[in-house]
Amino acid sequence: MSFIRLNGVEKEYKTKRKQTDKRQRFCIRSIDLSIKKGEFFTLLGPSGCGKTTILKLVAGLLRPDRGDICIENKEVTRVPPEQRGVSMVFQEALLFPHMTVGENISFGLKMKKINKRERTERANDFLKLVGLEGMNLAYPSQLSGGQKQRVSLARALVTKPEILLMDEPFSALDPGTREEMRRLLKKLHRELDITILFVTHDREEAFELSDRVAVLKNGKILEVGMPKDLYERTDTVDVAEFLGLRNIYYGIVYEQKFSCDAFQLQLLNYEAIDVTKGWLVIRPETLSIQKDNINTETNSQYLQGTMMDISYKGSFYNLNVQVGNENLYIIQDTGTEFTFVKGGIVWIGIDSTKLHFIKEI
Amino acid sequence: MKRRINLSYYLITFILVCFIAIPLIPLVIFSFSYGWKWPDLFPDQISLDAWAYVFDFGSKTWNSIMTSLKIAVTVTLINLFLALPAANILGRMDFKGKWLLEGLFYAPIIVPAFVSVMGIHMTFIQMGITDTLLGVILAHIIPTLPYMIRALVISYNTIGYIWEEQGKVLGASSFQCFFYIILPFILPGIIAGCSLSILVSLNQYIITFLIGGGQVMTLPLVMFPFISGGDPVIGSVLSLVFMIMAGGALLVMDVLLKKYYVRNVTLHFS
Repeated sequence: MSFIRLNGVEKEYKTKRKQTDKRQRFCIRSIDLSIKKGEFFTLLGPSGCGKTTILKLVAGLLRPDRGDICIENKEVTRVPPEQRGVSMVFQEALLFPHMTVGENISFGLKMKKINKRERTERANDFLKLVGLEGMNLAYPSQLSGGQKQRVSLARALVTKPEILLMDEPFSALDPGTREEMRRLLKKLHRELDITILFVTHDREEAFELSDRVAVLKNGKILEVGMPKDLYERTDTVDVAEFLGLRNIYYGIVYEQKFSCDAFQLQLLNYEAIDVTKGWLVIRPETLSIQKDNINTETNSQYLQGTMMDISYKGSFYNLNVQVGNENLYIIQDTGTEFTFVKGGIVWIGIDSTKLHFIKEI
Repeated sequence: MKRRINLSYYLITFILVCFIAIPLIPLVIFSFSYGWKWPDLFPDQISLDAWAYVFDFGSKTWNSIMTSLKIAVTVTLINLFLALPAANILGRMDFKGKWLLEGLFYAPIIVPAFVSVMGIHMTFIQMGITDTLLGVILAHIIPTLPYMIRALVISYNTIGYIWEEQGKVLGASSFQCFFYIILPFILPGIIAGCSLSILVSLNQYIITFLIGGGQVMTLPLVMFPFISGGDPVIGSVLSLVFMIMAGGALLVMDVLLKKYYVRNVTLHFS
């Protein structure tokens, strides 16, 4: 049963960018989504793909042109945001500068006309929950970026909403703080049993946090699924590209064999009776550089190539090997005892079970 | 280096104070004299006659001060009520013909208010509100409203819609959003607008004279005949009274507005 449901929601809108003063048109087209209770659901996509618009539609800050939105089986398409029982955290913390941290957190409770003693009590509880105990008398201008976002999170959660919407809440933070905030958010999601609809353009963030991810492009949902499924077995080449899978080759499959201009590979988990056009996706971490061309495992096959580029990343190498006229990107553990030479000939071991073929439609 | 900055700072302050204070000194001395004639360096007689005359029991002065303040405060309240929605739209929204609307709203700053009041006068005669307080209050809105709108538009310009969105998703209604979030943000603009509105209203002479027809006596109206030749000693007393009244009105308004929003709002803006 779905908790939040969007049926054929469409919305067109214009924004005026302050810097360029150019009007831009955005639209989202017939979006269908269904999110389960207690789920951590992420909308992932490049900027301008309409993910924030969807969030604002769910929050009620925008009204859809067509379609309807249901929360807990109640249609809320025309319900104003303050009556939807959802909370939202924006990219910036947006703490009210004229209020103390404590007052900021208890703002939602004050709007609900809850008495002052209970307000203070609950604000302090949530301040503790986000790890800022005793800061209730500070003013927002005295806090660091991470602390501000923590207060913003506490402020959104204090009213105990069923649904928390988050619009790239950590993208303005430095990497260390971002990591910390992700851990905190995961912890809060478990403890408070809340449904979270999260928006980000950072795929690592989406993978790390989410139960399910929807990948968006140009106002359309390309695919919805669990992070692992999306990464390893996506149905759309756009999704594969967006998820950073760089080894994508266009070719044909015939009788368990994939062939493109540069190479031929055996496919074990895809069988095509007729000649099928499509893309082969090879995850860079499933490839391995072999010392010699020794064929030991039956699942394995080998390609010969020239090492074009080596970059050392600490715990792994990013390698670029040219095979025929195509490039293969390989992630290789630095634990192995290899010294790579630029321009050298290498053998690449390929695990046939981990190849993924996307049929062209 | 720092010392030099300090020194120039004090120097400039001193010069500015001199420019403001020195012209006032003869005014004060004049008000306590019994006629100060050339070539005396100081008046030969000190007298409180002029002050006694001005504040004589039952004199017109007190009444005119009260009338002036009553008009200024009412006009400012009406302006605030009119300008808030207007500035909300003008400051944050884009629409066709916005420049035209803005031009109309700001026109009274450029076009002498006297021009429009001539026309309004005819209408007011038909409506029968010339020579009344109401008529004068309505007429005073024309020259004061543009200042109020201008000040508030600038305030609204800087805040955008994001704060209201944040308020709404935290469960605040539109009114609560305005009261708890927007108002503190635009408070500096409100103070600026109200100050200008009060001052411009207090300073009106022609409009009050025309619409009030001599029945509504504000302080400038009482003052004018004395300055223009009647009795400069009383004129100077009235000038001082006017300054005290205007300064006091601004001070009271500032204190009231800031007291309501207890904390010094501008101090904590990040």
